[in-house]
Amino acid sequence: MPHIVTAFDDDLMMIQARISEMGGLAEELLAQALEAVEKRDAALAERVIARDKRIDELEIEVEEAATQLIALRQPMAKDLRVLISALKISTTLERIGDLAKNIAKRAIVVTKHGPVKLTSSIIRMGRSTQAQLSQVLNAYTARDTDAAVAVWQRDVEVDEMYNALFRELLTYMMEDSRMITAGAQMLFIAKNLERIGDHTTHISEMVYYIQKGEPLGDDRPKGEPVGLDAE
Amino acid sequence: MTNMRMAEQAARHQDNKIEARDVHVYYGANEAIKGVDVDILDKTVTAFIGPSGCGKSTFLRCLNRMNDTIDGCRITGQILMDGDDIYARSVDPVQLRAKVGMVFQKPNPFPKSIYDNVAYGPRIHGLVSNKADLDEVVEKSLRRAAIWDEAKDRLNEPGTGLSGGQQQRLCIARAIATAPEVLLMDEPCSALDPIATAQIEELIDELRSSFSVVIVTHSMQQAARVSQKTAFFHLGEVMEYDDTPKIFTNPENPKTQDYITGRYG
Repeated sequence: MPHIVTAFDDDLMMIQARISEMGGLAEELLAQALEAVEKRDAALAERVIARDKRIDELEIEVEEAATQLIALRQPMAKDLRVLISALKISTTLERIGDLAKNIAKRAIVVTKHGPVKLTSSIIRMGRSTQAQLSQVLNAYTARDTDAAVAVWQRDVEVDEMYNALFRELLTYMMEDSRMITAGAQMLFIAKNLERIGDHTTHISEMVYYIQKGEPLGDDRPKGEPVGLDAE
Repeated sequence: MTNMRMAEQAARHQDNKIEARDVHVYYGANEAIKGVDVDILDKTVTAFIGPSGCGKSTFLRCLNRMNDTIDGCRITGQILMDGDDIYARSVDPVQLRAKVGMVFQKPNPFPKSIYDNVAYGPRIHGLVSNKADLDEVVEKSLRRAAIWDEAKDRLNEPGTGLSGGQQQRLCIARAIATAPEVLLMDEPCSALDPIATAQIEELIDELRSSFSVVIVTHSMQQAARVSQKTAFFHLGEVMEYDDTPKIFTNPENPKTQDYITGRYG
């Protein structure tokens, strides 16, 4: 049902449109950063780094618009939840943009070294992360709680891929010390993807909060982190 | 800090002061209240919100039998205060109104001095025996209503000479002078500026340490600020009644949601 004051609806829609734009951009940057890693394309990586600025700008726009709307219209109940979530999601998407940018930076370093065997595993993990992000953004637009919870639960798969990669990369670097520089970069890329997965679950939680008015909780299935115990 | 404030928002006293059961109010053939059940907690601020004509003021006026004075007004159901039926034959409405005070939308001081406005209730109810006691009650009431400093040097001047916000605080002082157990407020701030409104809200917060306060307000922000419990009235029924933070962040009823977010009016 629309608000009696239609300008209120316009403002709310504007903010959600900005979030959608940020989401689309974050997806694209992640896809291109992965492509830069896969195709060893430094020029593409540079473009990703440059375009991350737009996400930062959008985050500020969302923040300003949301602050103004809270001050001027005193939103209540679901409107308030939509706004609080918009603030948190925009920060999350900005972080995802930063991580994509960081992957792109590392892609540039990696291209200066010889090809790394495990690139295809990283790309596979990246595609899963990308699919998760894309699905949670669709869930946000459609306000689909079930889809959001499904993404939230599936993050454990990304965690497990990360753990497997971690072990493989360690083994690989031990076998051939010339690969340590590239391998270390790959480790960070994998870690960035794992972080993007976590941020994606945060967006799931926001979708749930908007719809249900209560937190989703924190008993999300998680992969056991490796490398923390003395192996 | 926020946690402490939030904790305070939760209604701490769980004793019912007033219990309304299946209350119907008719103006002639027109049914204005259609079966309302509400428990008003002791030492708690309860807000009634809802669109115009939803019955919130009518229901409020049932709580001290102000509707008795309206021709053709008929009330069924039960309203218990401390377990006693306030509509029982044995109850004198005048005595009831000393226990259940009321403050109206427009400040309505008597055309008497500031002192006499406050002294009026204690005098007619015989609550004090001598001038010294009366002086004390007047001063205490004016202090509690946060108007003592402005009024103390002009106690013999007419109450109508005060500003609107001061008059309203004078009316509150008058209402609390009889030491009521419940204070009903029907849009007490709608004629006031933001400063006077803030002073009255501060006062309401202070008063709930001693009384139950029931406030009807059109300002949702005001209901959210001052109350611990909120009832949403719609077409003569209570659609939802719950803790105030719950009503304003996550109401159960879609009608409540539509109303408080400005989608229905």
